[in-house]
Amino acid sequence: MNLTIEKLTKSFGEKQALNIDRYAIHSGETIGLVGNNGAGKTTLFRIILDLLHADTGCVTIDGVVDGVPVSCDTSKSEEWKAYTGAFVDTGFLIDYLTPEEYFRFIAKISDISDAVLRDRLLQFDGFMNGEILGQKTLIRNLSMGNKQKVGIIGAMLHYPQLLILDEPFNFLDPTSQLAMKYLLETYSKEHHATIIVSSHNLTHTLDICSRITLLEHGLIIKDYDRDYAMLTSEIEAYFKGNINI
Amino acid sequence: MELSKIRLLYKLISHHQRLQARRHPMFEKKLAMKILSYIFIAFWAVYLVMLGFTAYSYFDGSALEAFDWIDGGMIWFLIVDFLSRFSMQETPAQNIKQYKLHNIPTGFLLHTFLLRMGLQPYNLFWAFFFVPFGLRAIPQFYGIIGFLGFIIGWWLMYVLNSYWYLFWRTLLNRNFFFVIIPLLTYAALAYFGIFFDADNQWLFEGSIRLMRGFCQWNPLCWLVFVIVVVPLYIVNFRLQKVAIYVEIAKTEVVKQFKTHNMTFLDGLGVIGEYLKLELKSTVRNLVVRKQFITGALCMLMLCSLFSFSDIYDDFPFMRVFICIYCFTCLGVMTLTTVMCAEGNYIDGLMVRRETVLSLLKAKYYFQCIILIVPLLFTLMPILEGKITWLTALGCLLFTTGAVFPFIFQLAVYNDITIHLNEKLTKTGRDTKVQMLMAGGALFLPMFVMYALVECFNDDVAAISMISIGLVGTVLHPWWLRNIYERFMQRRYANMDGFRNSR
Repeated sequence: MNLTIEKLTKSFGEKQALNIDRYAIHSGETIGLVGNNGAGKTTLFRIILDLLHADTGCVTIDGVVDGVPVSCDTSKSEEWKAYTGAFVDTGFLIDYLTPEEYFRFIAKISDISDAVLRDRLLQFDGFMNGEILGQKTLIRNLSMGNKQKVGIIGAMLHYPQLLILDEPFNFLDPTSQLAMKYLLETYSKEHHATIIVSSHNLTHTLDICSRITLLEHGLIIKDYDRDYAMLTSEIEAYFKGNINI
Repeated sequence: MELSKIRLLYKLISHHQRLQARRHPMFEKKLAMKILSYIFIAFWAVYLVMLGFTAYSYFDGSALEAFDWIDGGMIWFLIVDFLSRFSMQETPAQNIKQYKLHNIPTGFLLHTFLLRMGLQPYNLFWAFFFVPFGLRAIPQFYGIIGFLGFIIGWWLMYVLNSYWYLFWRTLLNRNFFFVIIPLLTYAALAYFGIFFDADNQWLFEGSIRLMRGFCQWNPLCWLVFVIVVVPLYIVNFRLQKVAIYVEIAKTEVVKQFKTHNMTFLDGLGVIGEYLKLELKSTVRNLVVRKQFITGALCMLMLCSLFSFSDIYDDFPFMRVFICIYCFTCLGVMTLTTVMCAEGNYIDGLMVRRETVLSLLKAKYYFQCIILIVPLLFTLMPILEGKITWLTALGCLLFTTGAVFPFIFQLAVYNDITIHLNEKLTKTGRDTKVQMLMAGGALFLPMFVMYALVECFNDDVAAISMISIGLVGTVLHPWWLRNIYERFMQRRYANMDGFRNSR
């Protein structure tokens, strides 16, 4: 899936939260969105997912799904929802269900049969680490880390062509963070999906992303997409405040 | 603590409480809502003032003085006040929680909140009635000083009532059935104190004596107040102290839940999945469950009154009137907050296609299925010939085809999330729009029935209701889609509201 952002602005009162003239993400890319708190990462995700109204501009998703070309403005059509998966925060979780019930609910509304669901959940076995299924507990009673896992799996269950995850490494223990990295790398390779993740964890982000976008005060101030070694040192230097970009 | 520090802290806490009310997400963002709520308060104030003026004329010339009648009926005023507090008054335990880690003694915090509870403006709201009434009734007997005593006396009764309410409301947070005890107490007082023995209406007479004492500034009456309020205050103080620690140290007992797939609903496709959500939400979420149980109890009470009692047999209109309410009350009580529970996970729903439409459909079918209960209850009055089957069918279809479409409109406008498992009272959940719509949904059938029965007869009224209801019911896919489309047009504002009130 290609994602194009054009002339996007969003303000909260006097404060400008986003101001992106043009930004394009190409099919199959894994994008890492990095920036300090208040940079506008979550706001951007919410606008892409049509959960927040942009003051100006638009977000277009286009590509080929099952051999058919598709293209739509996310605020004007609901078509993109069929091939997009996202997890931003716990506001995505129906917390009075057990994880099994939640996954089954997602599967049913995504036309996934019980047998296929069982198969797909097996692929997340390592990531779940025996802490999610069969616990006889509601999602609201899970730890934050496990809630995060349920949300991420829920976003990936229907094999979306565009996957958006906000701070996926948050709350996860070190083992699960590594599993998360492996999961995203594998998913990207197997499904050729476009993945956008935001994270404060630079190491993980640099490891899994083919392109890093640096967002500050609502502006894209740097877009790195090639030299890994240079990219790593530059980004680290930026956050150390050693360079002027 | 030094006096200056006490004053400073008291001022700060008072300021915070004012800000809390003023910055409520619902209240903060909409000018229309503010105006509407002021109109709402003004309406009741004017209504009470008018009632106060006319009440004097009503009792004038009777065996007792007008103020004696009002004072004697004190228990009724207190019952109404007690019930109205359920939507007005919070318990302090949750408000104190945020100050607990600061260097402020808990005792001081509790005293502050309890004193503010006694001094809250709501305890003076009834003055809109008592001032005009007292001005006409009291000065001629006790002078203006007596009038002042009368007003202060009534205010003190409401202060007592607020502490009495607080005690039971706190216990109610632990167990819903605690609501029965104060209601039984009021009922027992009213029955044994007024109705049981016509020659010994001790509560009626006692209330008159007490209030006359206030008018005369009799020290004994003030002493009675102190004797009652001090223990009540101390009990509340202790209870709240425990409640704070329960609240802070609350470790939720994690129940084990078996995964229920409810496969019998699988045949209904996506709608079946949302029906499962609706059922699970009702069973597993405390707030939703309470709302449902309250509605269901009201429905069962009305149904039982309707089926097993002959109180209304002499009033044909009342029979039909209650019959309609048997069908509508649960729907109105639960659908007033339609979409508010979903506010907790609205983002998850909105990134999936047309989920809200399927959800609305499931909610509609869920409410329609529940109507089987009142329908079964109406079988008995039908068999006994109290009402015709035509009337029962009319009430059923009018509910599904007119009342539900009306109350479902709230799905477009509701934007305050209800906290699904919150145990402590938080006021301000019901917006004025919700209250207006709920009122409309309750009165709409009554007006329609009244007009039809008055203009024609019972059968014509029933057939008309069947026709209106049938059209609305058959057209439910259309009006639900219309609601969905309007919801989508307002989605950003609604999602913003839901997120802000989570």
